[in-house]
Amino acid sequence: MAMIKKRKLQEAQIPTSSMADIAFLLLLFFLVATTIDVDTGIGLTLPEYVENPETVKVPKNRMVAILINANGDVLMDGKPVSIFAIKDMLKPRIESKIDLPDNQKLIVSVKTDRQTKYNTYIQALDQIKQAYFEVRDQYSQSTYGKKFKNLDAKETEDIQKNKIPIIISLAEPESIKK
Amino acid sequence: MKFVKKRAGSKTEIPTASMPDIVFMLLLFFMVSTTLREVEVKVQYQLPSAKAIEKIENKRLVQYIWVGSNGSIQINDSIVKLNQIEPIMYAKRKALPNVIVSLRIDKNTDMGLVTDIQQELRKATALRINYSANLKAKG
Repeated sequence: MAMIKKRKLQEAQIPTSSMADIAFLLLLFFLVATTIDVDTGIGLTLPEYVENPETVKVPKNRMVAILINANGDVLMDGKPVSIFAIKDMLKPRIESKIDLPDNQKLIVSVKTDRQTKYNTYIQALDQIKQAYFEVRDQYSQSTYGKKFKNLDAKETEDIQKNKIPIIISLAEPESIKK
Repeated sequence: MKFVKKRAGSKTEIPTASMPDIVFMLLLFFMVSTTLREVEVKVQYQLPSAKAIEKIENKRLVQYIWVGSNGSIQINDSIVKLNQIEPIMYAKRKALPNVIVSLRIDKNTDMGLVTDIQQELRKATALRINYSANLKAKG
């Protein structure tokens, strides 16, 4: 008599109904731990450090000197102005130098006191940057018919390097007078 | 006359078999795009706000320096002194040549301190900086 093993066919199954829940839990963790906020700020490149910097004479019409004292008062080319007027005063001067060669572009010099509040300095820097950005926008609008941020890489570089470079010079604050 | 509601003969069910796949796809996206917070900020600071701000394109290039309202300076996980900035930043720049230093400075800090930090950064030749600021609401 042949013995036939009878096997009961049992289907082995992994329960997958809770898989979605587990995945959601993981998802939730990453959602919470993610920092989506992008870093924003005003970018700047510092000059290299040299022991004894040479002083180079710069013609007066190339320079815009902005002085900020400890109280937040602004002196622009020797005249007291409001900090929020910097942008509008700067724009025509940037525009007048678009077609000039590299060595005649405008230099904006910002000088502060040691006691000047950082916030005031950022406001002034913001005004300067805004002036440059608006001039760039207008220029690209009139030359290419597009906004500056929509230009292609070559056009962007042309404006950034040749037409409207942002040159900001940070003068070191004068040491405290005791 | 009686109104008899007609019911659809077929059962309506939303197929949920592919739900885990969809969720996993979402999960994967977040895992890849996440940069976990690495350091605990020990100083109190309030950023200034500005309009003409730019985004930092590459977050992995960024090195933060915090300056609190009491003038304490924090790099990475520790409070440092002014003269310690140069060696730290120099080492950082060696490892990461085009590092961007993001300065998160309290808005009531004196410019003297800011300039001192900038001088240290210049000595360490970490020249690309970014004054961290919030976007000012238009108006």
